[in-house]
Order: sequence, then structure tokens, then C-alpha cells
Amino acid sequence: MKYRITHTTTYNYSQSVGLCQNEARLQPRDFWRQRCESSIFDITPTPVDFREFIDFFGNRVAYFAIQQPHRQLVVTVISEVTLFPRPDITGLLKQLSWEQVRGMLQEMPNHGSKPYQNQSQTQSEGQSQNQDSGQETLEARYYILDSPMIAAQCELADYARPSFQPDRPLLDVVRDLMQRIYTDFTYDPAFTTIATPLSEVLAHRRGVCQDFAHLAIGCLRSFGLAARYVSGYMETLPAQGQQRLVGADASHAWFAVYLPGTGWVEFDPTNNKLPFDQHITLAWGRDFADVTPLKGIAFGGGQHTLSVSVDVLRLEQ
Amino acid sequence: MGNAETATNTIGVQYYETRLGVYDEMVATEHKVLPYWEHFIGALETMGSAEIEHRRREAQRLLRENGVTYNVYGGDAQKLTRPWRLDPVPLLISSEQWLTIEVGLKQRAELLNLVLKDIYGKQTLLKKGLLPTELVFGHDGFFHACVGTLPNQPKPLALYSANLVRGSKGRLWVLSDRTQAPSGSGYALENRTVMTRILADIFRETQVQRLGGFFKGLDKGLTAIAPHNKDNPRIVVLTPGPFNETYFEHAYLASYLGYTLVQGDDLTVRDGYVWLKSLEGLQPVDVILRRVDDSFCDPLALRSDSRLGIAGLLEAVRRGNVVVANPLGSSLLENPGLLAFLPKLARYFLNEDLLLPSVATWWCGQNRERDFVLNNLDKLIIKQINRKQGNQTIYGGRLSNKDKDNLRAAIIAKPYLYVGQEQFSFSTVPAFIDHHIEPRNAVLRSFVVANGDDYQVMPGGLTRVAREKDDFIVSNQAGGISKDTWVLATEPKTPVGVSLQSSGRNQFIDAVTEPLTSRAADHLFWVGRYLERIDGAARLLRTILLKYQDTLEFNEATDAQCLCVLLRSITHVTGTYPGFTKDSGKLLAAPEAELFSLAKDSKRLGSLAANIQAFVQSAFSIRDLWSQDTWRSVDNIQHRWQQRVINNDIATEALQSGLDELITGIVAFTGLTTESMTREAGWLMLDSGRRLERALKLVALLRATLVFRHEQAIQNQVFEAVLFSTDSLNIYLRRYRAFIQLPMLLELLLLDETHPRSVAYQLQQLSLHISALPRECGKSQLSEGERLIIKAYTDLRLSNVADLLKDDGDDGIYTALDSLLANTTELLWRVAEVIARAYFSHSQTSQLMTANSPPEDEL
Repeated sequence: MKYRITHTTTYNYSQSVGLCQNEARLQPRDFWRQRCESSIFDITPTPVDFREFIDFFGNRVAYFAIQQPHRQLVVTVISEVTLFPRPDITGLLKQLSWEQVRGMLQEMPNHGSKPYQNQSQTQSEGQSQNQDSGQETLEARYYILDSPMIAAQCELADYARPSFQPDRPLLDVVRDLMQRIYTDFTYDPAFTTIATPLSEVLAHRRGVCQDFAHLAIGCLRSFGLAARYVSGYMETLPAQGQQRLVGADASHAWFAVYLPGTGWVEFDPTNNKLPFDQHITLAWGRDFADVTPLKGIAFGGGQHTLSVSVDVLRLEQ
Repeated sequence: MGNAETATNTIGVQYYETRLGVYDEMVATEHKVLPYWEHFIGALETMGSAEIEHRRREAQRLLRENGVTYNVYGGDAQKLTRPWRLDPVPLLISSEQWLTIEVGLKQRAELLNLVLKDIYGKQTLLKKGLLPTELVFGHDGFFHACVGTLPNQPKPLALYSANLVRGSKGRLWVLSDRTQAPSGSGYALENRTVMTRILADIFRETQVQRLGGFFKGLDKGLTAIAPHNKDNPRIVVLTPGPFNETYFEHAYLASYLGYTLVQGDDLTVRDGYVWLKSLEGLQPVDVILRRVDDSFCDPLALRSDSRLGIAGLLEAVRRGNVVVANPLGSSLLENPGLLAFLPKLARYFLNEDLLLPSVATWWCGQNRERDFVLNNLDKLIIKQINRKQGNQTIYGGRLSNKDKDNLRAAIIAKPYLYVGQEQFSFSTVPAFIDHHIEPRNAVLRSFVVANGDDYQVMPGGLTRVAREKDDFIVSNQAGGISKDTWVLATEPKTPVGVSLQSSGRNQFIDAVTEPLTSRAADHLFWVGRYLERIDGAARLLRTILLKYQDTLEFNEATDAQCLCVLLRSITHVTGTYPGFTKDSGKLLAAPEAELFSLAKDSKRLGSLAANIQAFVQSAFSIRDLWSQDTWRSVDNIQHRWQQRVINNDIATEALQSGLDELITGIVAFTGLTTESMTREAGWLMLDSGRRLERALKLVALLRATLVFRHEQAIQNQVFEAVLFSTDSLNIYLRRYRAFIQLPMLLELLLLDETHPRSVAYQLQQLSLHISALPRECGKSQLSEGERLIIKAYTDLRLSNVADLLKDDGDDGIYTALDSLLANTTELLWRVAEVIARAYFSHSQTSQLMTANSPPEDEL
């Protein structure tokens, strides 16, 4: 499955901007179900200073600065991405209960001598596998803690509790939670902004994909589980008999939960779906603040208006 | 104090009441003075209580005059600064004891340095399980954006500070570590400077190790880590600004070390480098000594709501183009939970035992420790690992049952955020409290700097004692008292290292002229303007009070009418409308209340009190630029006005003499700056502000008094008053030897370029200054500012008195004069705007742009 994504962000300012510095997380990252074939920036005015690097979470970041006066900034990224069919995970679904997973995450490595090497130490292969998985579990623990936009709290735990029946397999729990969010909450772009706190989303049962992802993550963290935020795109298909509208797509967000031994399993609460072959990943982190697609600091500028256009085009099956 | 006499006898050690079982620095546990204290306490005994009190007051006076303050957040602007308090009894530490402390501090600095390098590097400690992930990642001092950004130096942790206390058996413990932007070293230095003055005799007889070497080490260390220009790097001190609690110290250190003091918007990132916005254009910056918390340092990469940082700073750091000391992210090491793990880490990294133990700490992120804390809440101190406002240290034993339950629930919900610590019984030190020497709990803050491959410890430090007996809360916010710390040398020797000055600015001043930041330029400009606002209003008010007394005494109609003219004019000059201008007679007949309000009411814009406050605030914002003497003159202006006028219910006579003193104070400041400032950008800014404002005030006065035709008798009085209040009466009388007449008066006050109080003189000076200011577009073309001032100046010069006073129809005013004055005012306002736009570039505001992706209007 191959896609071409064209993502354009345009800022218009009422007054001249003398200097702006930006960080963009707009280039799709590589991982097991996705390969980014190419990803090219087109920025006007051309930045004098442009540099790419990889952040703490492994995301691709572009830092750029416009140092000449300008009244408009246009940032376009064109990326081509190949998605690979994901392995069937239904076989795993019944395996680990959420309590077991929580216990594994809480387990402290033995301080000092031999962390994560309690079992199968006779086989070197097994040991190294354990080490890798141990390493991954260690990293996953960062995603249990509070993050800038998501703090574990009683209200979230209360909402999530019906899904957390004793001994229920973790993936069943999360599926149920996703289903409930999908049913209970109204998709309403007019209701929230980036700054709307989770408690309000919860109280009014309204929000957008970012809020639903945050909500699910907050619920899972309130039960001691590791969950992360994924930013990306989703292919939208026109209703039957209608023309496909170029540029009418949007950025999207969902979440993933960590299952020791398996890795991160993704869920899309906005669409009540497991991301499969229509979800293209840009970046992941603890919440939106870690993966903001484009942020910048502009000096001057007065009032500004912003427009975003995203086009997800399927190139081949 | 009445009991000073009797108190004289109670200074000896026999009156020193220590508490049972508590270690005391002077008498240990045996209640016998330790040998190295004997000489000192003997000298104090000889001196007697009254003399010590006298010297204590002298110390407070010196500290106040030097502007040593500690700002306390939350007060109103006037009471913002709290004088720094210094106990005349220092803490003495023997040379053998010091050796142990010094080795221990160096080891600890190195250990923390290694932890910092690991967490922001390979994170081996986490991978090996030597540090739990929650402990590191759950702390606000860990910034994932800073991973991989440490400078490639042996000692990225450039500054380190520890709070030390002594336990009941005399052993030293570390209470907490400071690694973010350790404060206090400047206060320690200032304490020492004052102590050597007030206890000069005793200090001379005692072999005390000097502090200068430490600061020299700091300077060398910071120079060594510069990524570029290693011979002569530009080092800046980044401060959050004059509202920060330790702003005094930022300014003091900057000035002492010869660094430029900057705030975030004085700097900018371009091409991946950090630049200083100066009047002369952008200047590269190599090293930033930061006193801004790390999360606030870069609104792009860290906290986006920060107004104190520099967008793109972390990117410049990542590219190795600038070094920040301490590195962004180093507040991670202040996590009290870390204390529990340090012994193990010392063995892991150094294969050594920890020489200075930490106060016993249980981090609740581990089950066993958490249960211990929950079961022993009564006996422990509970802290959150994140030090932020509202997170108080909790004494478990003092909580009500309900609060205890709440705390338990909070710990169980997020255990990794809490530690329990042993309630520590500090040692006591002798302190001079209410004419007696009494034991008080004390904390010693020590300072360490990286100097190349080694750490260097300040032989001394900042000792702080609690004000109240048996109080364990020793902090500046809580109103503690500071002490100098005397580390004794084993044998008489010449001062270690260097004299105070040689590590300071004198070394550099030949080589570099420091650029003037646009912010400093802005403040200088306003210092000049406020100064003239004070001067103009003070002189006019003084004139009015004299005239007012005449009216009371002689009860003549002309006096009263002249007074009315003057009263209206002061409203115009100070801009305190409606004041006397919209008055039908009531206020004019009884003007006292309004005049006192103009003198005393600091909440009223345009009043003397408000302008004095603004003057001092602006001057304080560039504290580093003033000499000690100049600052004392600033302090005098404010202090005297506050003491004599604002705080008292005074009569007009007293206000008169207060005004005399105020004017003398202003003259002192003007004289000092005129004599001590080099004629560079800084001076140009200060004097431009003065000239501009003096011209505006003068024009306002002339417009309010001379433009109207008054009848002869009143006119004479008004003319005299105008000349008097512009300090020109003598000159007039000497020059014209005649009755005061309007044409000659205008000649003198408006057009005479040789008279420093004339409008023409101000415009001429201003025009010279403006053309001398640095600018971008070369000198071949006139700048906008130059054009405006030349126009104002020329319009004035082209006018002649006869035309200005031409009688054109009789509407009671001199129309030509009025329109010339109005025109001048208008042009001067525009000059002020143009200067602000061209030179005060820091004032440009920035905004955060987030292209929030999730569907906004697309779906």
C-alpha cells in the first residue's frame, strides 16, 4: 500500500515578521509497518537556516528559521510512504490480563547486577531477547507517567473502570474502552482547541481525535499502563458516487498501548478502528505536545491567520 | 536600647546557652570553646554588646547603600526588595575541618556531573537499573529535548552548590544539592566585603582564606568552555530580570566578572548562533551563565509560554555554537529522590564511598520505602520531588489526621513523586540576636565551580541562620539572616590567589568595550527622563510653596493670582490632570492637599513619589552599570524622600527642605554620572533622555505661564517664578541687570544656546547625541531621528523674539509663541518614538504559532 501525502500550512500575518524559528515534525518516521520513501520540504520564503535531526522518541524533526521580513509563511511537505500489512494479532488477544501487564511494567529491574535477566539465562539467545524486551519495557515506562497534557486522575479512572474488569485481557480492555469513547463522545471540532483540558472534554463528552486519543491515554495511565500518542494521517474515501476532493483530508491522531512481548498496539478511538492500511504515522510521543506537527515562535506579525490543507492520495494497492 | 549597658557583660561564652544534645559550632558538645574560636570570641567579649550592635547597624547601612537586596515575590512593587541581613558574627571553620568538606564537595560535584552526563547521554544508569525510570522521568528537571545536547566537556556541570548541615554528633550532612542555577556566591562575596569593613581589626588578626580565587576560577572555567573565541569569549549573565528574588546578585556578579547582564529578549538566535542585540548591532555570544530556570530558557523547544528565554537556544546548543552553564536540564540533579541512590552511584562510578552523606531519604517509588514512609509519617519530613511553588515541605508530625489521610492517598496515587526524609536536628552556631549571642540553627551553602579538569571549592560560603530559636526553616524567603563564613588558614600566609579586583573587570576593560544591550539603552534613556521629571516637578513645587507662603503672609491679590498661574502650570508640567486646571476656585484657594498628593502619592501617575519610584526601578534594572557611588546616590534619593516626606505627616516647611534635599540628590547623581561615564552609547542614551525630557518639561512650563498675557503686576511675579524654578534667576539678573521682561526672558530660556537650562541648549545637545548614536544605514544619510530633531532645532533658531510676541488680534495669548512651543513638543514626542523603535528592539513581542493539526475547519 503506497500513499503520497501533501501537507501545506499557511500563515498570513497582518504585520511583518522579522524572524521566526520553527520545529516541524512533518516527515513520516520509519517503523515495522511503514517505510517513508521520500519526504521533501518546500518552504516559502526559503529558510536561511534548515537542519534535520532525530528527537528523543525517534521522530524526524526539521528546525528552520526565516530571518528576513515576511508577511506569509507557507510550509509544504510532500511524502511518499509504503505501508506493510500488519501481522494478525488476534491470537494474542486473550493472553495477558491488564493486571499482569501492569505488574510487568511495575517490576523494578534488580538494582545493580542483573536486570531483566531472571529467566533463561542458560541460553544466550534467550538472554539477549529478554534484554531487548527488557529494554523496550524500560522505555515504555516513560509512557506511564504524567505528561504535559495528560495527568492521571480519578475522573479518568472512574470513566475507564467499567472496561477494566478483573482478569480481562489487556487488548480486550482497550478495545472496549475505544468502543465506549467512540459511542459516548461526540466529534465536535467547534468545541475544543489545543488548550482544552481533558477534564472538560470528559465533562462535556465532546472533542476531536486529539482529545479522544488523550482521553484514552489518560484512562490507561490511570491504571498504571503505558500508552502513547500517535500523530499522522488517515486516508478518507469519498462517499459513493462522489468525486474525491483534493486537500480535504486532515491530520489525524490516535494512540497505542504497550503489551510486553508484543510491543505497541494501535487503536483509533475517533473511528473505532484498529489502524491497519489507512493510517500513516508521522511521529509519536507522550502526548500532542511532544509531536506538534509544526510550531514556531514569530517576532512581530500582529494578527495572524492559519490555514492547513492535507491531501492523502493512494498511489498503489 | 535601655539594657545596652547591662548587655555588655553578657557577651562572654559563660552566657552562651546551648541546648542539650545539640552540636554547636563554637562549643561542640562539651560546652567548652573550641580552640579556633577562642581568639574571636575573646575579641567580641572585649568589644561588648553595644559596640557589636553598632557595627551590626553599620553593616546594614553599607548593605542597603550598596543595594544588596533579596526580593520577595508577592509584595507590591514598593516593598519588593527586602534588605539583605547580615549577622556580624561569622561562622568559623577550622582548616582541618575544611579539608574534609572540600574533598567531599569535590567528590559530590564529580558524582553529580557523571550522573548528568549519563542521563543526558547513554542512560546506562536506567538500563542497568541503577536508577529507576520513574525517578528520572517523573522529575520536572528531566527534559527529553535536552538528551544528547550536553557540551562535549569533561565537566558539563559547571556550577554546583550544596546545603550543608551538621548533625548532633558533629558530622556534616548534605541537606540538598543545587545544580540548576545555584545562587548565593555573590551574596557571600558581598558579605565578606562588608565584614572586612565592620570587623576590620578582628579580620586582620585572623587568618581567613580569601574568596577572590574562587571567582577567578569561575571566570577561567567559563572562558575554557567557550566553543569559539577562546581567547576572549563573550560571556553573558542571563537573568529573569529585576523582579527575580536574587536579581541583585545577577547584576553584582555580572559587574564583578565583567560580563554583560542580559534578559532573554536581549538575545536572539540566527544561523544557529546566539547573538546579543546591542546598540552597535548583533554581537556573537559564546557562553551563557544562566540564572533562568531551564524550562524557561527556550520557548520553542521547552516551555512555550516562557517570556524569559530565547527561541532557538537549544538548537544553538545542539550545534555546539554556544555553551550554557549549567546546561539546560541540569535541574534534574536537584531531585531529592536521587539522594537515596547516591551512595550506590558513588561506588558504581568512582568506586568510592560517598564522603559527605546525604540526609536520610526514602523515595516512595519503591514499595518497601513507600510503606516505610506511610508507616512513619509522624516522624518524617515529606517532600515532593519537584520543587515548585505550592509544594511545601511537610512535617508529618504537625499534620491533622485528615491532612495525614489526604497525604497518604496522594502518596499512594503517585508514589514516585514523594520522598520522606529524616527530621534533622541541625547544629547551632553563635548568632548576635537582640544584643546577645545566642545559638541558632544554621545551614551552610557552599559553592563549587568546574575549572578545567578539576572542581574548585569556595573556601567559605553563605551561612544562613533562622531568626527564631529552635526554628529549622532557614531560608531567605522566610526571613533568615545571613552570615559570613570564615575558613581559617593553618598558618599566616599572604592572601590565597588574588586580590578581589584582579579577577574582575579591570583585566578586561582595556581589551573590550562591552556592547550596550538595547534593554540597557532603554533603561538608561528612561533613567534620564525620570530624573528630569523629578527635577522639573521638584523645582516648580518648591517655587509654588514659596509663593503660597507669601500669599498666606501678605494676603495680596497679585500673589494669589500669580499662585493660580503657577498651580495650573504644575498640573500641565506633571501631567496630573485635571488637577488645578479644571478648578473653579476651591482647589486653587486651598491647594495644600493637592500639592502634598503630587509630592507623596506614589500611586498617582506624574507625582514626585511615582517618578522617584520609576527612576529607581529603571536604575535598578541596570544595576550592573552603576558604580558603587552612583548607586548610593540613587538610593539616597529614594531613601530620603521615603523617610522624610512620604512616611511622615509633614508641614509645608518640612516639604520645602525635603525638596531642597531631593534637588541636591539629583545634582549628586547628575554629577557622578557626568564625571564617571565614558562618552559612549550608554552616556548618549542617558543624556538624550535627560535633554529630551528637560526640553519637554520646560516647554510645558513656558506654555502654561508665558503664553498668556497677564496684567503687569502679576506678570512680573510669574516671570520671576519661572526664572526661579528653572534655576535661571541669578543668571538673568546678572546678565541683564534689569527688571524682568518677556523678550529677554525668552531669549534666555528659549533661544540661548549657552545656557544649559534653555530649550535651545537641550535641542542642540540632543541633536549631537542622536547623530552620534550607532546606526545601520551609514552616515551619508540623515536618520529619521536626526531629521526630526534638526527640524525642531532649526524652527527654534529661525524664530525671533519680536515675532513670537507680535500682537495679532487680542485673544489674550501670544499665538506665535504658542504654536512654536506646540510644534516643538510634537517633534520631540516623535523623536522619542523614533529612538524607541530604532534602538529598543528587545521590546518587540514574540508569539507562539502552532499549526494545530487535528481537523479544525477541514472536515
